[in-house]
Amino acid sequence: MARKRERLKVIQDILNAIRNNRNIKPTRLLYASNLSPQMFKDYVDELLNKDFVSLETDDKGKKFFILKTRGNDFLEEYRVIENFVENFGL
Amino acid sequence: MFDYSLISGNMELFKFIYSFIVVFICAVIVLKTHKLFKLSLHQGIRYFRNAFFFFGIAFLFRYVLGSRWISQFIIGSENYFIIIILFEFFLIMAGFSLFYSLVWKRFEKSDKGSLSSLFNFKMLVFYVMSLLIAMLDSLWDTYLFMFLVQIILFLIASIISYRNYKMKGDKHRFLKFYFIAMLLSLTAWILNAILANYLSWNKGILLNVYLINIVVFVLFLYGVVKLTRK
Repeated sequence: MARKRERLKVIQDILNAIRNNRNIKPTRLLYASNLSPQMFKDYVDELLNKDFVSLETDDKGKKFFILKTRGNDFLEEYRVIENFVENFGL
Repeated sequence: MFDYSLISGNMELFKFIYSFIVVFICAVIVLKTHKLFKLSLHQGIRYFRNAFFFFGIAFLFRYVLGSRWISQFIIGSENYFIIIILFEFFLIMAGFSLFYSLVWKRFEKSDKGSLSSLFNFKMLVFYVMSLLIAMLDSLWDTYLFMFLVQIILFLIASIISYRNYKMKGDKHRFLKFYFIAMLLSLTAWILNAILANYLSWNKGILLNVYLINIVVFVLFLYGVVKLTRK
């Protein structure tokens, strides 16, 4: 059985999906994240609270996500964090 | 051959320098890992950072604030036992935190963790246990309970880190050094217990224990600096 994705990996996947797809809509991001709707909501709420992403509205009133500076910093640091965690067995 | 008399004659000064090095290393480790924790909220990093925070505070109390020159102005020699209790308390907290950083995944279903790093239920359990051990040692005028707890913690930590090294050591090189650091810590605690109970704190061996501790802290500093570099 495939191992459950770690929290950091899930966050990286969501942020990467937002970075790689400009103005990605919530439903598309849900599919891209491969999470259940409830878990997706939890993660997105956390990312919004941490100011990693923001939820914007376009001229037609449709919602979309954009990556913020802190989210971008996280992606840059992700390899460092992952490497650190693995090397210290944390 | 190394002349121990040179250092043992100036033991107080040596302890001061020794603790200053340890406190400095702990401060660097805490600052570097705090940055990683803030960004990731990873619980393993949180407890690892806390461990070195407590190590730093313990050494600050014991050998800097607790040094003969400073403690007589702050609390007086009749209240010196307070320094010892605080030293033990923070040292045991450090041991618990470092140990828990290795096993937290087995006990926590969610990896989101508590809001506060120092004030949450798990930390409260550690605080109570550490205080109890420090008080028992103080009442019996011994270090036995602390030594016993630390030897058990570092023995299990050595086994876990050996298993981590065997499983992922090829890919993650620092796991080997982590295992070595755990073994050295375990050795230092066993030597401490022997020194206290059978060798009346023999200064020559005590100096070797200090050196082992310095090597352990330098190993961790090396790992943290190397792995947090982009």
